[in-house]
Amino acid sequence: MDIKATVLQILSDLTGNDVSGAMDDNLFDSGLLDSMGSVQLLLQLQSDLGINVPVSEFERSEWDTPNKIIAKAESLA
Amino acid sequence: MAKRLLRIFGPLILAAILVFAVLVSPVTFGFKHMSAAKERQAAVSLSPNILRGKHVKEAALGDGYVPFFGSSEWSRIDPMHPSVLAQKYHRDYRPFLLGARGTQSLTQFFVMQNIQSQLRNKKAVFFISPQWFVKGGTRKDAFGFYYSQLQTSEWLSHYRHDAIDQYAAKRLLQMPAAKSDHFINTALQQVAAGKTLTGYQRFYLQSRKNMLTQEDQFFSGINLPSRNLARVNQQAQKLPTHYSYSALDSLAGRIGKAQTGNNSFHISDQFYNHGLKQELKKGKLKNFQKNLSYLKSPEYSDFQLCLDQFARLNTNVLFIIPPINQKWQEYTGLSPAMLRQFDQKIRYQLESQGFHNIVDLSDKGNVPYFMTDTIHPGWRGWLAIDQRVNPFLSQKQAQPKYDISDKFYSKTWQQLGPSQLSQYEQTTK
Amino acid sequence: MLTFEPYGNPTYFALLGVALLPLMIGILYGKRSRLYETLISIFFLVLTFGGPKWTQGVALIIYILYEVALTWGYAVYRKQHNSGPVFFMTVILSILPLTIVKVTPAVANGQSSLIGFLGVSYLSFRAVQTIMETRDGTLKDYQVMTFLQFMLFFPTISSGPIDRYRRFEADYRSVPDRDKYLGMIQKGVRYIFVGFLYKFILAYYFGTILMPKLQIMAMNSRGGFMDLSWPVVGYMYCYSADLFFDFAGYSLFAVGTSYLMGIETPMNFNQPWRSPNIKDFWNRWHITLSFWFRDFIYMRLVFWFMKHRVFKKPTTTANVTYIINMLVMGFWHGVTWYYITYGLFHGVALVINDAWLRYKKKHRQSIPHNGFTQVFAIFLTANMVCFSFLIFSGLLDKLWFH
Repeated sequence: MDIKATVLQILSDLTGNDVSGAMDDNLFDSGLLDSMGSVQLLLQLQSDLGINVPVSEFERSEWDTPNKIIAKAESLA
Repeated sequence: MAKRLLRIFGPLILAAILVFAVLVSPVTFGFKHMSAAKERQAAVSLSPNILRGKHVKEAALGDGYVPFFGSSEWSRIDPMHPSVLAQKYHRDYRPFLLGARGTQSLTQFFVMQNIQSQLRNKKAVFFISPQWFVKGGTRKDAFGFYYSQLQTSEWLSHYRHDAIDQYAAKRLLQMPAAKSDHFINTALQQVAAGKTLTGYQRFYLQSRKNMLTQEDQFFSGINLPSRNLARVNQQAQKLPTHYSYSALDSLAGRIGKAQTGNNSFHISDQFYNHGLKQELKKGKLKNFQKNLSYLKSPEYSDFQLCLDQFARLNTNVLFIIPPINQKWQEYTGLSPAMLRQFDQKIRYQLESQGFHNIVDLSDKGNVPYFMTDTIHPGWRGWLAIDQRVNPFLSQKQAQPKYDISDKFYSKTWQQLGPSQLSQYEQTTK
Repeated sequence: MLTFEPYGNPTYFALLGVALLPLMIGILYGKRSRLYETLISIFFLVLTFGGPKWTQGVALIIYILYEVALTWGYAVYRKQHNSGPVFFMTVILSILPLTIVKVTPAVANGQSSLIGFLGVSYLSFRAVQTIMETRDGTLKDYQVMTFLQFMLFFPTISSGPIDRYRRFEADYRSVPDRDKYLGMIQKGVRYIFVGFLYKFILAYYFGTILMPKLQIMAMNSRGGFMDLSWPVVGYMYCYSADLFFDFAGYSLFAVGTSYLMGIETPMNFNQPWRSPNIKDFWNRWHITLSFWFRDFIYMRLVFWFMKHRVFKKPTTTANVTYIINMLVMGFWHGVTWYYITYGLFHGVALVINDAWLRYKKKHRQSIPHNGFTQVFAIFLTANMVCFSFLIFSGLLDKLWFH
């Protein structure tokens, strides 16, 4: 399964926006993601991709753009 | 690296140097002026910062304020208080109250050190409290509280090699406060031993004095307590518009009566409820002053420092000797004979040296509403004091002729019993 | 014996300067002396907790030994097992001293607990966080000595900022290169001087000069509707200004000192008064505390609620967690009605704020968004915050019940 496509799908479900056009935009600064959204993202990654991320692994600065999230997901898969 | 470090710490070091330069420089920075409102506030504030400082006093005493040296009595502000009467009846003088609970002769001697030009050939009022003349003299902690390095360094910059300054240095060295600055302490030891100060010591004292003077100029006028001024204004409203002694005397009696209902001592109710009621209930105060004596005390020599200083500056001083509330005196067993002898001893010290302006009220302890509490004058007491203070300060006075004697610095004088007084007078003529 | 409030007077700063000088020269030449760092840490801890405050010092030592035993024990245990109940027990045990300290005044007529000391609440955060990250497996290499340095790092011991073990460890184990360190010195010195302005001039003016007068006026103007009066309004703004300048000033000292020691302790304040909404406010005010609550309470609770599908809707989950999160923060400040009300107030404010943001997102076209609305939002947020600080200040308690 393509990790990138799945992550983008999760993000668009979560934020209600298509983020594929702005892969390096900061999702927290633009208000698309918040703490609640991050937790939902982690849970979705777990259920859709089987990636287990503990909350304390979630360092905001490493997860703040679509590209960074995809990279993280790929490294943890 | 050096360049970057200089960029970081350069401004910091420069700022430190500038602050230090401003503090040690002898230049005054345009803070000389003091508003009349601030002087009015400071004159009755009784703030320890004002007492310890210089700038505010110096400015006010140059503007027609007269120093009123004393202690806790100044805080008993009622309509007949000297500050209230002077304000209400637009007298030519205004009291500048110097002293608060715990200030005694030694503190006042140092207070005089940096207002010398304001005392020279001028007038002053000095309120003597018999309670100062206890066995131990001034309390070390109270002296420490009012101690001012500024005044000490100022004094050390103009001291003379004579009995007065040697005694002052020795006396100061007995106080823990003298240890607050190591260099001042060594300088005091040299003065006490009759030695001269070295060039380096003079330089240090001069710089220290400049620094403290600047600090005092910048900060002593900030945040003055305003409560007492409000009280003075409030009390002034109770007075009739035109001065009349008989009207004031009966007003003083009426107010006194109204405020002293709840106790047999004729002590103001407020004071009685706050300070005495509980203690009296325990019964510990009955006869507790039976063995108290004001006759043998180092305070006599400390007081001599003040007299000596007045003589040097040719200041014309009115001394006030207050009574003690007689009902209180009887209850606590304080000996009336001892009080009479105290009066004799202190008057001898004053009159034998040419201080003849004395308001001796020591026999007025039983006049109704003369005292506001146990030892402080109020209502009629203040009015009686005003009867002498006003003419003394408002009218031209004869030049005093002082004849100072160093014998009052001796242990013999401090400890002299009253019966030996006339004999002492003969032998030391 | 000499004893100081941390950053309390010029002598403290002079001693700090002298003590840090050899350390700074060392780092500039690429060396860190663990021994020297430990010695000055001990020196300043003794200055803070010695002399007449020795009982606090004893409490601190016992507390630290206790937390070391817990974290170390748990780290050893976690290598072999991972049971939920053991984890919960360890967390509860580690916050037990803090709980006792906070509850004692409420049940013992304002008497403070014997086991309390300056900084106990901030140290508890560091200990709990260490345990939680150990459980998650993100903290694998627990070292007792590093943990001790982390807990007892003197610049931040009394009131934060609350650093994180792994972040601290990375800084502590390395020496910044000269160029970077010169930059840190530059920032550190600037922070300390801005701190002087905040704490010794502005906070002094608002807190020591103005506030007591306003309080007396407020107390004398009682009798109106709910005992409120204009002086109460003045007090509200004055208290808020004092709270900010006092705490931001202290934080600047703590961060500045850390920088001089080559440790990049995180910043605690980031222009909080320009926040357009309450959520943003908590990203700018007492940042290390609010982020700690976000990471170790809010996110974990949300994670747990969602995983176990406790609530149907994600918004309900978020709202319930906001309230719990802020209530816990209120209790942490102290067990009094006004701290708890303050927490509840902020919890509700966050719920309303979230609802508004959702509504705004949906009706983007019909809601104006321009300079005026921006200024209005900032004004509204600042005033809401000041109002919450009025609750926090305890003045209402004095007005109503004393």
